[in-house]
Amino acid sequence: MKNFSFSAGFLFVKRKSAMIEYPEIDRYASLDSPMHRFDPRAKIIAFLFLIFSVVLIPDLKIAFIGLFFAIFLLLLSRIPISFVLSYMKWVAMFVLSFFVILAFTFPGEELAKFYFLSITAEGVYTGSLITIRAFSAIILIFPMIGTMRFDTTIKALDRLKVPNSLVQMLMFTYRYIFVFVDEFQRIWTAMESRGFKLRTTLYALRTIGKAMGMLFVRSYERAERVYQAMRSRGYTGNPKTLVEFEIHMKDYLLAVFIIGFAISLHVISFVGVF
Amino acid sequence: MRDAIIVRNLSYTYPDGTEALEDVNMAVYEGEKIAIVGPNGAGKTTFLLHLNGILHGTNGQVEVFGKSVDKGKREEIIKEVGIVFQDPDDQLFMPTIFDDLAFGPINLGLKEEEVRERVENALLTLGLSDYENRCPHHLSYGEKKKAALAAVMSMEPKILVLDEPTANLDPRSRAELIDIIKGLNEREGITIVTATHDVNAVPELADRVYVLNKRIIAEGTSQKIFSDVELLNETNLEVPEVFKLFEVLQCFGYNCEELPLSVDEAIEHLTRTVENEGGHIHLHIHKHTHDEVKKLKTKYEHHK
Repeated sequence: MKNFSFSAGFLFVKRKSAMIEYPEIDRYASLDSPMHRFDPRAKIIAFLFLIFSVVLIPDLKIAFIGLFFAIFLLLLSRIPISFVLSYMKWVAMFVLSFFVILAFTFPGEELAKFYFLSITAEGVYTGSLITIRAFSAIILIFPMIGTMRFDTTIKALDRLKVPNSLVQMLMFTYRYIFVFVDEFQRIWTAMESRGFKLRTTLYALRTIGKAMGMLFVRSYERAERVYQAMRSRGYTGNPKTLVEFEIHMKDYLLAVFIIGFAISLHVISFVGVF
Repeated sequence: MRDAIIVRNLSYTYPDGTEALEDVNMAVYEGEKIAIVGPNGAGKTTFLLHLNGILHGTNGQVEVFGKSVDKGKREEIIKEVGIVFQDPDDQLFMPTIFDDLAFGPINLGLKEEEVRERVENALLTLGLSDYENRCPHHLSYGEKKKAALAAVMSMEPKILVLDEPTANLDPRSRAELIDIIKGLNEREGITIVTATHDVNAVPELADRVYVLNKRIIAEGTSQKIFSDVELLNETNLEVPEVFKLFEVLQCFGYNCEELPLSVDEAIEHLTRTVENEGGHIHLHIHKHTHDEVKKLKTKYEHHK
């Protein structure tokens, strides 16, 4: 296995020969687009609203409208499609397995039959609906948090009164995931340089288990040192940060437009335009 | 001269029963530079953590500017004592350099304007002016080390405690950091306490040296400590390279009583000698030279 990867939410760590790729959802945060200029707080609220809206769409045709709108916003953000696709493939593997399972197990009108398994029209419909909704939601993540640096996202969440302990967790995860990647890389290099090869043998799995264990021990010890450093600088439980966010009329308008679209998706499905 | 730090009969035992410090006594005056040297596992880091009340001795007392470091008064103490940890990744825990430098001042309850001013000043002092919005994981180790120092400097402590400030740095970063620390002491009168293995840095970073190995084994000027061969062997220490070189020169008939410890001292020393001896230095090989050099070479070999 040449590529070794593990995931943490939407953050993926890819191992390519000797180089490690950092999880960087915000790699294109320095571009300039209407999405990049959108006030972080308004952006988060508007997009969260839209994401909830698209995942709750009950109708396939309207779900497609949601998907097109998501793609429109993605194009507007100027984030390279190839970058988005590199993340989407993991989601696709996960979601498409659902599609297959649903298509074969959902009761309803039979479309085709393989031995004892049959595909139903209702199954395909429900599977497609779930797939489209999931893709739309994932695509929307990129114009939302891919258009600002992750530390800005964290600060915006803090300003939006997200519970402080959650903000801190995000903050320290973001800071230390890179340190852990490096640390794991060092352990891995040390293992490889002494002849270890990744195979699917019990021995290899056991060794990886031990290496992961070491990583946990090191993390625990580091956490203790970090905590000492924090206390040395007056940490009492809820750190504050200084930020200058400025919200303008255009941010309100853009937010209202996105939220309005999110609502109208449900209005048209309720009224039954299609 | 005011006492900056007084440590009296300090003992510390780890929760698992390992004894880390035993009856440590120390006095640091305001504006002084102190180095704490000692072998690996001598309890240097543990000791430093007592200086701002992160750890509390099982016995004994620490006083900072006459105030006892008690559990209740940590806020006052961290204003006076800033600790720079060895691994900058432990020290820089905020998403950006700006946030990290602002962390301390915000916790001190300063107004936003003053926080920004302090961050600015600290960045300027360390030569990191354009680094505000950088993330720690994009910095080199040397830059991280400087940023870690800046993050403590933004709290404007009167006492700066450094744990292995020169470890793992390339020669240029190392020299830079030593200069910065010396400058902080000379220009701003900040009291410096450094724990280090880097004997070549000790003469520059310290007026006085404490040798710690669970207990304080010795105390004195760099000159005194580095002249005590037995002590050095006992505690896995060495003398600075410049010192060694002048010991070699002595074997070749160079005449001096107090050997220089740093390049600056060496220049001064040589100039004085040349002036005294009429414009040149006289070196020669006499009948004991080879024996003396041989003896010198084995002098610091602890493992033999």
